[in-house]
Amino acid sequence: MTGIKDKKSARMRKAVYCCVLSLLFVLVAPLIPYVIDAHAEDVTSSKANKPVALQHPGINLWNDVRQRNEVTQGSSQVIGVDSGILINKTGEDWRRFRMQMLMPYGAYFMAATITTIVLFFLLRGKLRLPGGRSGELLCRFSLNQRTAHWFAVGVFWLLGITGLILLYGRFVLIPLLGADGFSITASACKEMHNLIGPLFLLAVLALLVLYIKDNFFNRDDITWITKGGGMFGGHVSAGRFNAGEKTWFWLVMIFGFLLCITGLVLDFSVFGQGREIMALSHVIHGISALILITVSFGHIYLGTIGVEGTLEGMTTGYVDASWAKSHHDFWYEEMSATVEEQQGIKKDVASSSTKPASSPAGD
Amino acid sequence: MARMKFYCDAERCIECNGCVTACKNENEVPWGVNRRRVVTIKDGEPGERSLSVACMHCSDAPCAAVCPVDCFYTTDDGIVLHDKDTCIGCGYCFYACPFGAPQFPSSVAFASRGKMDKCTFCAGGPEETHSADEYTRYGANRIAEGKLPLCAEMCSTKALLAGDADVLSDIYRKRVINRGASVLNWGVQYKKAGIDG
Repeated sequence: MTGIKDKKSARMRKAVYCCVLSLLFVLVAPLIPYVIDAHAEDVTSSKANKPVALQHPGINLWNDVRQRNEVTQGSSQVIGVDSGILINKTGEDWRRFRMQMLMPYGAYFMAATITTIVLFFLLRGKLRLPGGRSGELLCRFSLNQRTAHWFAVGVFWLLGITGLILLYGRFVLIPLLGADGFSITASACKEMHNLIGPLFLLAVLALLVLYIKDNFFNRDDITWITKGGGMFGGHVSAGRFNAGEKTWFWLVMIFGFLLCITGLVLDFSVFGQGREIMALSHVIHGISALILITVSFGHIYLGTIGVEGTLEGMTTGYVDASWAKSHHDFWYEEMSATVEEQQGIKKDVASSSTKPASSPAGD
Repeated sequence: MARMKFYCDAERCIECNGCVTACKNENEVPWGVNRRRVVTIKDGEPGERSLSVACMHCSDAPCAAVCPVDCFYTTDDGIVLHDKDTCIGCGYCFYACPFGAPQFPSSVAFASRGKMDKCTFCAGGPEETHSADEYTRYGANRIAEGKLPLCAEMCSTKALLAGDADVLSDIYRKRVINRGASVLNWGVQYKKAGIDG
């Protein structure tokens, strides 16, 4: 009995051991790779002790956001121009240009020009006609030319004044009008500037067509420029337009067209132009406008109080012959050559202010 | 003095656009105006990250610097707001702002810009607090109720945070530290990148 019992209990013990061992194996076996792996990792880290050269996947995020390497366009559910751009640094450049360059230098430039003109006027006074008026009248500007000129003048100054108010009003007019008063003024200026702006293109085109003929530079202009337009070195000869007038014409053409193109880009913001293009347009627009405004001070001075007998050419269309002889002698000779045809010269019997009876063919 | 700031955690933002929707709903912003937007960089590529952006309420705000009518003001909490009565809709703030925050409703004649609209940090505007006028023109004034902007309050992953700059930077600093120590941090996930040993 005991023998059988012993045999049975021995078999049971074996079975239990087997069960325990196999259970242990099942439990431990999955851990073996971890032990080996840990050991292997210990070995590698003690050997090299270097981090794996694998970058954090988000490492270039802020470079992309700040557009450091290239312009990175992200995507957004919000549909709009530039809506995929998180940070656009060009705005800061534009801010620096407008606040630290355009405004102060523009003001200095205009103030310096006005001061120079005032000083010049005080020193030299009005340039009188030598030998007084002759009473003989020459047709200088046709009705079309005068209309185009005064149309351009009107549009230019409406735009110029509204533009200058938008540029300097915050510092000049807010202290005078108060924030609310200036807001109404500025709002009217903005709307007027935007609505009248496109007309300036018409004005510049009209000036181009009607005035380009006599505005090409020639050899006489070099002498005119070297003699400072008669300021140094005595009398200078000139054709219908002298080098100064031609320069003004080409300045109006170059900066006028730049103003029109950039103005249209800024005015009609519905063609998907982004901030960069609009800020760049504004830079060109501001510089061009201040150049034209500043040079126009000189043009206005010479056309009105600076030189006697000039303004009537643009108002009535006729100038006195002695004015033509002294400022535009080549043109006077040309006009005199046609005197027989009675096209340009009219005897003004009564007084120089009365308009001639019949208009010349040029009208 | 508290200085209010937004912070968006790029490791948490899941581009759900909940902040955009919350903002539109809370402030009843007009069509075409999005005070907040979510931008995804490298969409569908490795390293894809999303960030929610709106007005960042800059200390030296470029919009305020270039405004020709000086219509911007900064509240005691450092929130940059503007007065729509004074605004003339010239768009200069839009050129100057690096974040594209200023928005313009395009319902005005001749494609002219209307008055600018932007994120107010849910702080209303210069009108009387909680007046109907303030709500229609500027949206909710949650700050006056002692609440933070709804975009951040609604953020499901707490990626977008809004509040006092000091508190936000503390929260973010803790996040960075915890990410560095966690078994889930990027270093362990990407074979200990950048971490010694």
